Amino acid sequence: MSNDTQDDTPTMKFEVLKAAITDGSALRLGRLAFSGRRTIDTPNYFAVTSRGAIPHITPDNVNNHLHTSGVYMALEDCNRRTPATPPSILPPPRHLHHPVPPPSPHLFHRHPPSLPTILAARRLPAVAAPKGNTNTSISIFTSTGFQTLTPAAYTSALATLRPDIAIPLSDLPPTLPPSAKRALRMSERTDTWLSDFHLPSPVPSTSLFAPILPVPLPLQREYLHTLLLHPTHISGLALYSPSLLPSLLALHPTLAPLPRLDLSAPSTPHAILRLLSLGVDAFVLPFINAVSDAGVAMTFSFPPPSPPTGTQQQQQPLGIDLHAPSHRTSLAPLAEGCTCYACASHHRAYAHHLLSAREMLGWTLLQIHNHAVVARFFAGVREALGHGTFAEGARRFEEGYEAEFPAGTGERPRARGYQTKSEGGRRRRGRG
Amino acid sequence: MWAAKRMASTMSASSAALTFELVAKCSTTRARASIMTLPHGPVNLPMFMPVATQASLKGLTPEQLESTGCRLCLNNTYHLGLKPGQDVLDAVGGAHKLQGWNHNLLTDSGGFQMVSLLTLATITEEGVRFLSPHDGTPMLLTPEHSISLQNSIGSDIMMQLDDVLVTTSPDKVRMREAMERSVRWLDRCIAAHKHPDRQNLFCIIQGGLDLDMRRKCCEAMVARDTPGIAIGGLSGGEAKDDFCKVVGACTQLLPELKPRYVMGIGYPEDLVVSVALGADMFDCVWPTRTARFGNAVTKHGVLNLKREMFAADYGPIEDGCGCLCCRPAAEGGMGITRAFVHHNAAKETAAAHVLTLHNVWYQLQLMRDAREAIIADEFPAFVRAFFGNLYPERQDYPSWAVDALRTVGIDLIED
Ligand SMILES: [Zn+2]
Ligand SMILES: [Zn+2]
Repeated sequence: MSNDTQDDTPTMKFEVLKAAITDGSALRLGRLAFSGRRTIDTPNYFAVTSRGAIPHITPDNVNNHLHTSGVYMALEDCNRRTPATPPSILPPPRHLHHPVPPPSPHLFHRHPPSLPTILAARRLPAVAAPKGNTNTSISIFTSTGFQTLTPAAYTSALATLRPDIAIPLSDLPPTLPPSAKRALRMSERTDTWLSDFHLPSPVPSTSLFAPILPVPLPLQREYLHTLLLHPTHISGLALYSPSLLPSLLALHPTLAPLPRLDLSAPSTPHAILRLLSLGVDAFVLPFINAVSDAGVAMTFSFPPPSPPTGTQQQQQPLGIDLHAPSHRTSLAPLAEGCTCYACASHHRAYAHHLLSAREMLGWTLLQIHNHAVVARFFAGVREALGHGTFAEGARRFEEGYEAEFPAGTGERPRARGYQTKSEGGRRRRGRG
Repeated sequence: MWAAKRMASTMSASSAALTFELVAKCSTTRARASIMTLPHGPVNLPMFMPVATQASLKGLTPEQLESTGCRLCLNNTYHLGLKPGQDVLDAVGGAHKLQGWNHNLLTDSGGFQMVSLLTLATITEEGVRFLSPHDGTPMLLTPEHSISLQNSIGSDIMMQLDDVLVTTSPDKVRMREAMERSVRWLDRCIAAHKHPDRQNLFCIIQGGLDLDMRRKCCEAMVARDTPGIAIGGLSGGEAKDDFCKVVGACTQLLPELKPRYVMGIGYPEDLVVSVALGADMFDCVWPTRTARFGNAVTKHGVLNLKREMFAADYGPIEDGCGCLCCRPAAEGGMGITRAFVHHNAAKETAAAHVLTLHNVWYQLQLMRDAREAIIADEFPAFVRAFFGNLYPERQDYPSWAVDALRTVGIDLIED
């Protein structure tokens, strides 16, 4: 363990702009700043990538039309053959005139350099591996099947890829909750891996967000103690079970200034609002891709529009199913009042046609629109927090919108690569 | 050069919805550079037209397609007639409005798709009979119905319904019948066309590989005075020598001040040779279809980026390419690498989208470069450089191309 010096102090800065916004709540406004990247106002969200790509969106459209604050990528998506040697994603150059540029996750995912990148070992949500983790490795699922990843290999990948935020390796069992015995072992392993391999961060520009395990706090006491010993090397918390947050902060108030990243993958805006009240600052949201693939255009906003006075308010849907025949000739934007590229340039009739003809552009337009809706939702949340009207807005949102997204009647895009393998265990057993 | 410029001021012809202006002619070959002005703006010829079958080009936004310089693309009438259907096209106000494309559209008649996609299609004097792919009910595509659909689509260029036969068919009698019927169907198409003021109807020369029959067809079709003329029936596996002979025979008979469209061809060599033979417009699904399989079209040939050798190749898809993908980020591009495409090919649609963008750009740029060379009267040098890039050894030049180019004054071997 090296001393904390200027050199290995992470370059990310998190500033709480306004805290304890309502009595007894952990809600707060903040700002996450990285050198050379876009500054992120929190609360906010990161887009999930698949093999480095935001599904259906080319990097130029990410730059021009997507209002995401950053991207989340998984190391298991980067590996080619041998995950034991993470630089396999950056092998020696063979193109004589184009040597490998300086390491950066952008070299891999080709998104605009202004977008910060979170790197984790596994996708969100991750496919359950047939073989469990061991004391020295976790199971990951690559394009060539299940393989193992050691903490040393992961650290070396961090040094190579230099993401802005990295989630250290944690021992997560495929099914939750684990037994008390298993929970203790999760804590022990994660603790050992963090202390022996991940601390301090291999590169100062990579900030470590320590995972908080989805097990009762007493069962991860030792591990939490380790976190408290390294305040300058832990730049944030990654929460697999954000419901632990209030008791964690009560137990260890010194962790309060750290930014809190949710990795529990909420599936609705209602769930996001509840997690915000627990004090979450940033989210990784796989549900956006799923809703787009279902042919559903999101239609919610925060705070919800006020119903006309004197009318009985009916619950509004969170989205509309553009595959429904009622949109065949509609020249309305995907969602009323939306100004995203998809809504400004196209209409429901085209989206409906593309979905029913199974043209890939349909899902592209839905992704652009749905990301715009979620980005606006978070902007609305921040504004309400600034004005002190969040609680009122959240209450009206809960009442005003249906609990779930409509299912979507369209066929989903053809499953490719990773998506064709649902649960592990049947295929390529013994390769890992 | 001077002659070409002076000619530009005088050599043009107009019909209700199309103006054709001949800008330059190659002094060696029959290649021409021209400007064709359509209801949705001017397009420079020679040009390649990408195929957006169902009113969408393989996942590209219309904005991305526009970025390739494309100002005229294809939609397929057969597909749009099924989805979204004529009633929707009428309600929405046509295919431009449906897909948010403010440039030009060309549609085929739907006949070729039917004959090639549906095994049970039969042709009678009335039209093409087929079974609905939806519910199997008998349907009939007549010249009148095809034009009605294309009027609803609102394409800037519509194609006549023709009686298409594979060129390799040995049945001379049937071939003559098809050619003559195509002429009769053109008359029915012209009579059925409701918007000659804002939509152009092109005729299609048929006649298989029989040059005499092709000449007769040219004569009959030219007499009908459509604003543009297509050479049809040539995408069906005939020998390349035969293909070149047919194109060469037709272009010699066609009026100089009308656009000439060779349907369904798209390999870069075919485009360059056809331009030398005097053709102006081409379309093909190949460049966009092959992108889905990880193939990049480049001046040195087709690269399959799925091959392991590209896994660590951080160069652009093609060195020096000006497309949105290959241009570095510092120049406003995406800086896409071969490694990126390799990693995601067949796994994430975004990889297919970037290759599609590159391939469409390649085809359009090839025609832009040819056009510039024609205007500078340096087209023969352009053709030599093109084949030199594609085949490092001269003995590998395809003999059909060498022979066809000799007929228009370029000798690739002896220069
Ligand atoms: Zn929108
Ligand atoms: Zn390119």
